[in-house]
Amino acid sequence: MAPIGRWCDCWSLETDVPELIRLWRLFRPYRGWMLGGFAVALITLLANVALMAVSGWFITAMAVAGAAGVAMNYFAPAALIRASAIGRTAGRYFERLITHEATLRQLAGLRVWFYRHLEPLAPARLMEYHSADLLTRIRADIDALDNLYVRVMVPVLVAITAGVGFFLFTALFNLGLALLLLGTLLIAGVVLPWVGHRLGKQPGRRIVEIQAELRQASIDGTQGLSELLIYGAADSHARHLDALSRALVAEQERMSQLTGIAQAATGLTANLTLWGMLWLGIPLVQDGSLAPPELAMLALFSLATFEAVAPLPMAFQQLESTLTAARRLFAIVDTEPAVPEPTGPAPRPTGNGLVIEGLRFAYPSKDSGIHSGPTQERPTLDGIDLELPPGRRVAIVGATGSGKTTLFNLLLRFWALESGSIRLGGIPLEQFPGEDLRSRIALVSQHTHLFDTSIRENLLIAAPDASQGLLEQACATAQIHDFIAELPEGYDTWVGETGVRLSGGQARRIAIARALLRDAPILLLDEPTEGLDAVTERALMDAVQQLMKGRSVLLTTHRPVALAQMDEILVLDQGRVVERGTHAELLKALIYPRLLGLDLDV
Amino acid sequence: MTAPRALLDDQKPLASHWLRLSVGLGLGNGVLLILQAWLLAQIINSVVFGEADLNRVAPWLWPLLLLFAVRAGIAWASEQSAFRAAAQVKISLRDRLYRHIQAAGPAWMAGQRSGAIAEDLTRGIESVEAYYARYLPAMSLTALIPLAILIVVLPLDWLTALIMLVTAPLIPVFMILIGSSVERLNQQLWKDLARMGAHFLDVIQGMTTLKLFNASRREAEVIARISDDYRASTMRVLRVAFLTSAVLELFSTLGIAIIAVFIGFRLYQLELPIPDLIAPPEISFVTGFFILLLAPEFYAPLRNLGTHYHGRMEAIAAAERLVAVMDTELPPAPRQVATLSADSLRRIRFDAVSYSYEPGRPALDHTSFEIGAGERIALVGPSGAGKTTVASLLLGFIRPDSGRILIDDQDELQALDLDDWRRRLAWLPQHPRLFQGSIADNIRLGLPDATLDAVRDAATRAQAAEFIDRLPRGYDTPVGERGAGLSGGQIQRVALARAFLRDARLVILDEATASLDPASEALVQRAVDQLAEGRSMLVIAHRLSTVRTADRILVIDGGRIVESGSHDELIEQDGPYRQMVRLLEPGDRRA
Repeated sequence: MAPIGRWCDCWSLETDVPELIRLWRLFRPYRGWMLGGFAVALITLLANVALMAVSGWFITAMAVAGAAGVAMNYFAPAALIRASAIGRTAGRYFERLITHEATLRQLAGLRVWFYRHLEPLAPARLMEYHSADLLTRIRADIDALDNLYVRVMVPVLVAITAGVGFFLFTALFNLGLALLLLGTLLIAGVVLPWVGHRLGKQPGRRIVEIQAELRQASIDGTQGLSELLIYGAADSHARHLDALSRALVAEQERMSQLTGIAQAATGLTANLTLWGMLWLGIPLVQDGSLAPPELAMLALFSLATFEAVAPLPMAFQQLESTLTAARRLFAIVDTEPAVPEPTGPAPRPTGNGLVIEGLRFAYPSKDSGIHSGPTQERPTLDGIDLELPPGRRVAIVGATGSGKTTLFNLLLRFWALESGSIRLGGIPLEQFPGEDLRSRIALVSQHTHLFDTSIRENLLIAAPDASQGLLEQACATAQIHDFIAELPEGYDTWVGETGVRLSGGQARRIAIARALLRDAPILLLDEPTEGLDAVTERALMDAVQQLMKGRSVLLTTHRPVALAQMDEILVLDQGRVVERGTHAELLKALIYPRLLGLDLDV
Repeated sequence: MTAPRALLDDQKPLASHWLRLSVGLGLGNGVLLILQAWLLAQIINSVVFGEADLNRVAPWLWPLLLLFAVRAGIAWASEQSAFRAAAQVKISLRDRLYRHIQAAGPAWMAGQRSGAIAEDLTRGIESVEAYYARYLPAMSLTALIPLAILIVVLPLDWLTALIMLVTAPLIPVFMILIGSSVERLNQQLWKDLARMGAHFLDVIQGMTTLKLFNASRREAEVIARISDDYRASTMRVLRVAFLTSAVLELFSTLGIAIIAVFIGFRLYQLELPIPDLIAPPEISFVTGFFILLLAPEFYAPLRNLGTHYHGRMEAIAAAERLVAVMDTELPPAPRQVATLSADSLRRIRFDAVSYSYEPGRPALDHTSFEIGAGERIALVGPSGAGKTTVASLLLGFIRPDSGRILIDDQDELQALDLDDWRRRLAWLPQHPRLFQGSIADNIRLGLPDATLDAVRDAATRAQAAEFIDRLPRGYDTPVGERGAGLSGGQIQRVALARAFLRDARLVILDEATASLDPASEALVQRAVDQLAEGRSMLVIAHRLSTVRTADRILVIDGGRIVESGSHDELIEQDGPYRQMVRLLEPGDRRA
């Protein structure tokens, strides 16, 4: 195990050790960089200590020699002084360069590492996280880890190595003085950091938490500005933000109190060491066991050595923020995906027919209860049987919460089914790797996320290698090409949060174009025309018709005109199929006409 | 545009009290340091040349302890005052920034990346701390402490004073030379950082979409690339920034080395490598040692400034982003804020109102219409016809480019106190936003003091009580952005309950029921009908069911009202409305 792990074992709180060990492992690929940073930092420190110590010795020795008229070699120390001066300057420069380069490389690596762990959790496991919270994790929490390397790991290694060296060097002159130095270095390098860590724990944790809350409130307060203004809640939200801001500053103030105490205590320890050196050293000079210039040298030397331990109290005081950030990252990384990926080779299904038998599913109940559906006992889907051979079109109709979206989530393997089976080409869905399965399915839903990039990039998500011709063809089929072509920047127009605002119908068409580019045999349409006005909807339906050609289709909708073209319609109520048949048959049924709003006039 | 520096300087009064204390404490510390060096030199001198024992040096040794204690106190106090100097500024700036964003309104916000704005409100504000807590005090001390040391050294040894005088001014000169180029790079860096934040938020919010297209793993490469670009641009800044520090370091360490060597040589009566014309002054050991101890302290503030200069640049780069937000022009406040009488809002008249989001493409083009007291108006038309613009104007998010919106024929909307005006409105958009908090908190949004009974009552009337009661934690169920776990219809009804809690005079429904299934829609519709009782209502609608019951239907196309009348009248007219109806669902028996 690494030195830091062992070193921390002997004094730090037991609970921190596993995190430190995990963090150390994450830093492993960058060991070379870290070692380089350590070496240069050590050289810089030694050069500085040498500069002060040699200068003190040199002046005193020269004065003594000058007064006594004795000859002395002054070239070597003078050269050493100059060499230390240059060594320190160059060392500091390269130390900073190397440690920062190393840190930024690590952070870049960590972000990808975190994202790779985050991605399998979407969407099932991420529902309960505010997007701002996840943003904080991938941005601020990962950034906070750089503290560990630049402010903790390297300085600790340097302090240990240099501390031993300083002790041995002083012991060459006098053991008592060496022990004094060792003792005070331990106070400033171990005791103070330990106390700082203990006391900084609570404010450190609170700071990370409040920062996350503040980010959340910022996103709520900007993305939800309309609601806040209209409901007269803008002022109270501003006050909420201000209260968080003040709470943050209050915790930072507690931290700053500690910093002040730590700084004062470190300085005081260094000064007291100097004082102790004189107190113990003066009698030694008198009894001749220490040369006068050596006393001057050791006095300055002892002061300078504290540069090795000075950054440690601060570093350990902030360690808790770093560890809290690390814990928040590990919490995500350790979450099991809702759907385990199969380990075996990708199966080769015969055809793309879907068969659903006896499907039952209930969302796992959480403490918050929000995802558990109406009640725990009642499953979201209960005993669904459905066949979708290639080319068949099946519609699902049901009120909000009847389980339509859940069925889609299961088909896309965003959730794992509980009992019953879904087979694709005769092979159970569980045996398909998620990506393999999803490459056979295209989805158009009423919520289309347009990324903050060009229209082209937004289309290329579906088919990264598609040519411009192919894009235009898909957009023409989706009846959006003419609109795009008219934009001044055409397919390079930015859409999304900062780009051109697309209307609901236009966004839906882009989604259809994406699905066309996807060219998957199975098509899921989740209320594809909902939320559109009549004219737009009418036009969109033509595009959807194009899309449905030659594909098996599972559609949820309430539009009679679309339902009339379906081979079969399933009416869902609270997770069960209560009616099934064709549009014409179901018009005479009980629930179906009511769901479609066709009985309202009666 | 305001200079970023000016923004930072404007905040100084908030910090000035603590800043002065910081500088005072720093200066006190400097004076004590000189005293400490003098005592130390006396002690070493007595021991080396006077063969003094502990008793003889005691008069110097004991005061030294006292000095150490006082300096420890000062170190603690200056940390406190430095923190406080920045604390008030941070609190005030964050509040001002956010309130400015609110004042700029949703119309402005629509053109911004909320991820980047969140970055400004959190990290952006934090990075101004270094400017007030570190850079400003360091700046003053850089002038004061070296000066104090120089005053002490000059009468003792003019040669050392000369070395100090020559090397010291070079430091700030170099710093400024290199610093200005770093500053530019650094501002770029801050933009990269904001862009990175916005990109990550975009990816997180769109992760399901990415996943659907098996693009989520490809995205890992994009994240790697963006992070690596960020590393590269950061290092570009840092390489130059560190060079600044290195130059500072070089001058100060070389300065110390030269001073030490020159003192040593003179103590040994050696020739100095300087022109003969300048006869170097004689120096005693005690003076030499005293000066040697002072030399690092002379350069320390300058080196400190180098460290804090980086903080200053970060603060300025952040301030540039803040200024960009704070410089957004706010809609001019009405010269005389008029408030409507309590019973007001009976009639609203659009009088030749025009508005365009971009020049040359009017969203509304001399639109005129009227909403009478208690009237239910439906606004229909194709996407992009200007329906939502009408709502935005009524909500006060945007102001007409020309024309007037008159309330009760006398007050112009533009001249009204917006809070007072909005209090009379209820608004239900297609995708209402729920906020972090419980369902009850979300319903209480417009009336934070409402009792739980009132909340329940509102929820019942909004047809939401039934599903809320079935949730294990009922009204305390935590919800977040986009309702987390609630269906679209459920979110809609929670949002509707908000409207019930307020006694609004005008209800604006912006495609509110568009994404609901007919059963939920019927629920919401029933609630809406109840809400509309005795109130005026503007419905921006798609569904015929909502339109048919309206007193009047306005058909809008290309930013103009092209037709108006009741459903039956318009069907008879055989105009655009009838065409629209015919397009809809041939199977829809109502049409």
